[in-house]
Amino acid sequence: MSAVFDGSPLKAMQTSHTHAPQIALSAQELSQEIKSFISGVDTVQGRKLNVREHARCAVRLLRSVPACRGAVLEHLRGVYDEHVSAFLHNLETEVDSSSGVSSNLEDIIQEVHGVLSEFIRLNPRAWAPLVSAWAVDLLGQLSSKHARVAPHSSSLNELLQLWMSCAATRSLMEAYSQCLAAMLAWCPDACVDALLDTSVQHSPHFDWVVAHIGSAFPGTIISRVLACGLKDFCSHGAKDQGLVVGVDKGSRVPKIGSVVGILGHLAGHHSDSIRKELLRMFQESLTPSSPLSPTPSSTSWESSPLLRRAAVPFLLQLAAMSPNLFGAVSAELVELLRPPVLLQLQGLLQGLPREELDNMLGLAVHLISQSPTGGARVLRFLADTATPASVIISGPTLSPHEGVREGCDRLLQTLLLHLHKLVFNRSDGVEGNPLNSASSQPQRTIPFLEELQSHVAELCAETLRLERKRHLWLHQLLCLLSVYGGPSVATETLCQLLTQARNPEELALAWQLHTTLSSSMAGLIPAAIARCVAQIHTHTLGPRQLRQLLLNLAAAIQSQDEERRGAAGAQSTMAVQVGSSVSGHLHDFVPLLLHGDPAVSHAAVRLLSCSPLPRTSSPAHLLLLSRVAVTHFFLVLRRRGEGGKVGRDGGQANEAVNCSVLLLSRFAAYSPLTLKAVLQQLVEGALHKGNTDLFGGQIVDTSGAPVPASTPSSDLGASLLDINCRFGTTVNFSGSVWSVFHAGVIGKGLKARTITQLPDPSGVIQNIQTLLSVIVQCCSSSGFNGSRPPSDPDEPAPINAEAAKVVAVTMVENVCPDVANGELSWPPEEHARTTVERDIHIRRCFEAHPVLFPLLQLVAAGRPALCYCSAVLRGLLATLLAHWEASREASSTDSPWHLQVSCLLVSCMGEGQLLPPVLANVHEAFPHLSPFEVRLLLLAVWEYVRGNGPMPQKFVFSSEKGLFCRDFSRDGDVARYVAPIHSVLHKNIDRLGHLCWRFQL
Amino acid sequence: MGDIRQSLLPRDVLSAAKELLYHLDIYICNLVQSGRQPPQVDSKTLDLVEEFILHSPKDRNIPARRMSALQELQLLEIMCSCFQEQSRDTVRQLMFSALFNLQGNQADESRMVLLGKLVSMAIAVGRIPILECAATWLQRTHCVYCVRLAQVLVDDYCSMVPGSVSTLHNIHSASPRFCCQFITAVTTLYDLTSEELTPPLELLQMIVSWIQSDPRLVLIAFLNTPLSGSQPISSLDVTPLGGLVRWCVKAPLVYRKDKKLAVANDSSESEPETGPLFSALHLSVLQVFMLLPNILNEKGLFGRLALLQIESLAALTSDLSRLLDQADKHTHTSSSDTHAASQLALDRLAQALQVAMASGALLCSREDLRSICSRLPHNNLLQLVLSGPVMYYNNMHTPPLAFSPHAAHSPIASHPTHPAHTPLATHPSSHPQYPAQPFVAGMQFPFRPSH
Repeated sequence: MSAVFDGSPLKAMQTSHTHAPQIALSAQELSQEIKSFISGVDTVQGRKLNVREHARCAVRLLRSVPACRGAVLEHLRGVYDEHVSAFLHNLETEVDSSSGVSSNLEDIIQEVHGVLSEFIRLNPRAWAPLVSAWAVDLLGQLSSKHARVAPHSSSLNELLQLWMSCAATRSLMEAYSQCLAAMLAWCPDACVDALLDTSVQHSPHFDWVVAHIGSAFPGTIISRVLACGLKDFCSHGAKDQGLVVGVDKGSRVPKIGSVVGILGHLAGHHSDSIRKELLRMFQESLTPSSPLSPTPSSTSWESSPLLRRAAVPFLLQLAAMSPNLFGAVSAELVELLRPPVLLQLQGLLQGLPREELDNMLGLAVHLISQSPTGGARVLRFLADTATPASVIISGPTLSPHEGVREGCDRLLQTLLLHLHKLVFNRSDGVEGNPLNSASSQPQRTIPFLEELQSHVAELCAETLRLERKRHLWLHQLLCLLSVYGGPSVATETLCQLLTQARNPEELALAWQLHTTLSSSMAGLIPAAIARCVAQIHTHTLGPRQLRQLLLNLAAAIQSQDEERRGAAGAQSTMAVQVGSSVSGHLHDFVPLLLHGDPAVSHAAVRLLSCSPLPRTSSPAHLLLLSRVAVTHFFLVLRRRGEGGKVGRDGGQANEAVNCSVLLLSRFAAYSPLTLKAVLQQLVEGALHKGNTDLFGGQIVDTSGAPVPASTPSSDLGASLLDINCRFGTTVNFSGSVWSVFHAGVIGKGLKARTITQLPDPSGVIQNIQTLLSVIVQCCSSSGFNGSRPPSDPDEPAPINAEAAKVVAVTMVENVCPDVANGELSWPPEEHARTTVERDIHIRRCFEAHPVLFPLLQLVAAGRPALCYCSAVLRGLLATLLAHWEASREASSTDSPWHLQVSCLLVSCMGEGQLLPPVLANVHEAFPHLSPFEVRLLLLAVWEYVRGNGPMPQKFVFSSEKGLFCRDFSRDGDVARYVAPIHSVLHKNIDRLGHLCWRFQL
Repeated sequence: MGDIRQSLLPRDVLSAAKELLYHLDIYICNLVQSGRQPPQVDSKTLDLVEEFILHSPKDRNIPARRMSALQELQLLEIMCSCFQEQSRDTVRQLMFSALFNLQGNQADESRMVLLGKLVSMAIAVGRIPILECAATWLQRTHCVYCVRLAQVLVDDYCSMVPGSVSTLHNIHSASPRFCCQFITAVTTLYDLTSEELTPPLELLQMIVSWIQSDPRLVLIAFLNTPLSGSQPISSLDVTPLGGLVRWCVKAPLVYRKDKKLAVANDSSESEPETGPLFSALHLSVLQVFMLLPNILNEKGLFGRLALLQIESLAALTSDLSRLLDQADKHTHTSSSDTHAASQLALDRLAQALQVAMASGALLCSREDLRSICSRLPHNNLLQLVLSGPVMYYNNMHTPPLAFSPHAAHSPIASHPTHPAHTPLATHPSSHPQYPAQPFVAGMQFPFRPSH
């Protein structure tokens, strides 16, 4: 037994020796050592100790005399400080750091570090609190003392690198980390408390320590820091200190400031864990405490109901103080707030006093308004939650509890109010000069609105859904946003609303917005229209949107017309503005007439037909407009023909045609230039190859003959080289007598008869009617100012002479491209054989284009315009003469086309007063005569015209009729031309008796 | 003495303290020489000590000056040499008490801190006079503060600075009186009720080796105390015997629990077994008890002074029964171990009771003992002690050596080898429920030695 007893103290001695490598000093030596340490003088040799020896002495005391602990640590502060000074000095003077004082001290610091870390390892409970307090305090002291000296104090990272390259601070840091690792096991709060306190004391300079420690122990530090902050927040009392919006409040709660600072630093690398931790805090504060199942991570604060209740205000306060943290949390927080969580939150908040709730509300509103990201989601969440449950569940979330809804409602309204204040109080200083305010004073930014500016389109779409309260809120928000963002945002908003509205109610929102904004912003509508136009140009709008936009604009302009009739409201000025802006951008809208989508072009014509025309416009624009408008006209005619059978499309097509007609007529009335252009385009268009079928015509080749449908493809194969090679060797007979081979081309056999498939006759008639009505409207409109007298409104307006002339000239140019012998006066009938080819061409033209006859009639009505058709009339008459001469039929009715043409021709010439009434009436007799007799009568016509040339100057304007009239009495005697008529009458008196009175002079 | 305050005020902290010490020395020398009985340090001087050495704030408006740790070390060093150089014990004692006797004011905190450092340093540099003064201080001061001092020393030498236990170990040769008081304080401090209050292994080893090498060490304070009746109220016990008995009795149960925890934590650190240490300690304690009759007889105190208080024994037995209950509840794993441990604890208790009663350290009736031990489970030896006749030495001339043949027949020596050798074998010793100690009626034995 005794052997065991003897062994144990020996063992104890052995273990103690392994811990202390030095031989234990005797009491006398220790006493000497203490004396040396205190005086700094080697008591044995009597010389002064240098820093190293002094430090060594201190370390020895630390190992052997427990009572010297405090003094030794205090002395070591000086050693560390000296090393840092030397280190920084070397750094500045670029001295090689391997020589000099610092290297000497570096090993001593290593030694100290070794001793301390050994102590901590052996007995963490005793040493870790001691060393950690010492190290943190010393670190803080060193950091702030040398803050000014440290060369690179620019960024935290550089600072961290600098300090960690210094042996002293690195060793301190390592020692502290070791302590912390040890202490986290049993008193985590205490060590973080110390860290926070020091951080507060040496605020900016100590940050690198916190950053380093934080990144070494992210998980624990973050949660501890939060828990500490929460406790502190709670003990300081949320009522009197926190929860007030403002920056200066942060200084009164000391720890929350450093909590924010520390988390801010950690956010760089550990934002994820910070976010998780914050969200966890939030969630755990909500979940009802269950003592039965404490989570392993739950520490002290979750168990205290007081702290749990303070968690939400604390988090809010934290967020208010650090935009970083707020930004990290806000996005996911919104995701978290599902209905059950909301219910819990409500349950939690119900327990709070009213005043505190108001504070929290204010804080939340402040936060939302200051949040730089995620605003759109927050807004959607709020709106979703606050929208009263409707019969139709529209939102993605289930309808929450009524109390929650009311809370959200209140929050949203407060938010709007707050934003309102912010927006309208931004530029208080320069109230007197609101126009300059935007430029002269840097305005406070509101991040929430800043961010929402990019979501204007979605907001507009949401607003336009017209859901109960929601659209009111959103509309209010849009107003604020517009005021805040200035003209650009306002324009964007208005533009979006104009584009997205689908019916008058929705469109009314745009006008409401405008009325709100119009007081503060001038020129909003023109800008909005300009923006729309820009969108059109960049093709950012789809066909549907484009169509909607155009229709909305048209509706806007039309509302103006309605107001003219009815009471003038607030919209009137706006409608006028829209009208004028649209007219300013008319040339931008014009190309849309030819948009591939019929709906778009329809909408465009709606808009254009009702928009006012600009006061001044460049001729180029006008010509373009006229060209496009006419092209569109023919396009809609074709569409009507194609889609006419289907009911709705047919109605739309009809409406499109009407609009197009309206547009053309209004446009033609705009100026002489446009009138001329429109008429010219119309006539040319009607005769154009592509459109002939609309008017019952056939495609005519250059020779005037109907071309078989297949030939264009063979023509495509013609090589320019071939033609050029042949150029010199062949004679171009075109236009001369010799090239005409009506039965076919030599070498190609007999010309194939074209199978003329007549289009739907009723459609043709309708088209011709439409065309004529357009032209008539154009011609009779007041394009030529002053020519229209105030006449009976029932009576159709007379055809304008100038307009008719334009039609006539255009017609001649198209029908008779060969201008040889183009003078107005007629040659003797025998000379007609020199122009046989041209005459045939003319006749074929008339054959191919039935529409020419109505046009001719129209021209005739616009006296004296028919004079300009002289060449056409002559050519036509010449071919008719030739036909009737050659005809061997018994009656003129056997060649019906020629008979009809003859009748029309003569009646037109009569209408156009190229013939006196006696001669003009001859066509009445034609159906009853033989071909030869017809020829006789036509010859008489020819002779008369030859004798009395169709000269416009023979017409005089009669003001009482409003027309030009020809006084035939000035011309030569008609009698000699009437003789053949009378002969024919006599010959067929049995059948023509009833017509005799028509030919009395 | 009070008039030097004005001259001290402008000085820096350290030199003011130095000067005050100097003046205090002179003042106390004068006091002793004046021959006034008893020498009393006046309150003005005490105030000066508090103001300039302990730096307790006198005036609320003036912030207390504080010494840096370095200055404090210098002051300690000066104090050490001051006490060392003072040749007269009375002066030294008076000075020590002027500095460190508790005054019941707010300066006591810093007083305790400074005292702790001073004693710790004195141990390190071997300043015996200070240790002697400290021993006296430990005898006179309320045990709470004594325990605090002990705690500081144990922290310093057993846990904070590894390898410095040897320094502390040396004090038994330097100042046995202080050593004895230290053991008393430590046994009072570590009452084995919780993990924090379990002595560190180094400390245990040290104390065991102290007592083993010289069992009389335990009694030194008692031997040197002139008057037994002059004990201040709630000071430490005169001897550490009560505390040591408590350690030995409770150790099997407490350390077994620790071991179980260590096994559960799977810590592979092979800690030295504490069992043999406590066995040795127990033996030493019994030996010390055996020394007592002579000493008591010499002092003429036999049967008049109870070195072992019946109250502390009552506390020990109730603690023990609680521990046994706990052990009983957790017997699902190693019931045989548990049983052995609890039997060991009960055996030690019985042995200690028997020897203490026999040696006159414990003065009480068997009735009292029975009532104290009534909650304890059955143990053969304890049963014997409670019921059997007690052999005590009423003859002061009987040499102590006569004890040894008796010891050979006593159950103390025989119990490890013959555990079942008992007249009350009808009670199965392996009964798990530990039936309460039966009281055998009608057996009256004289308990008080008749002088």
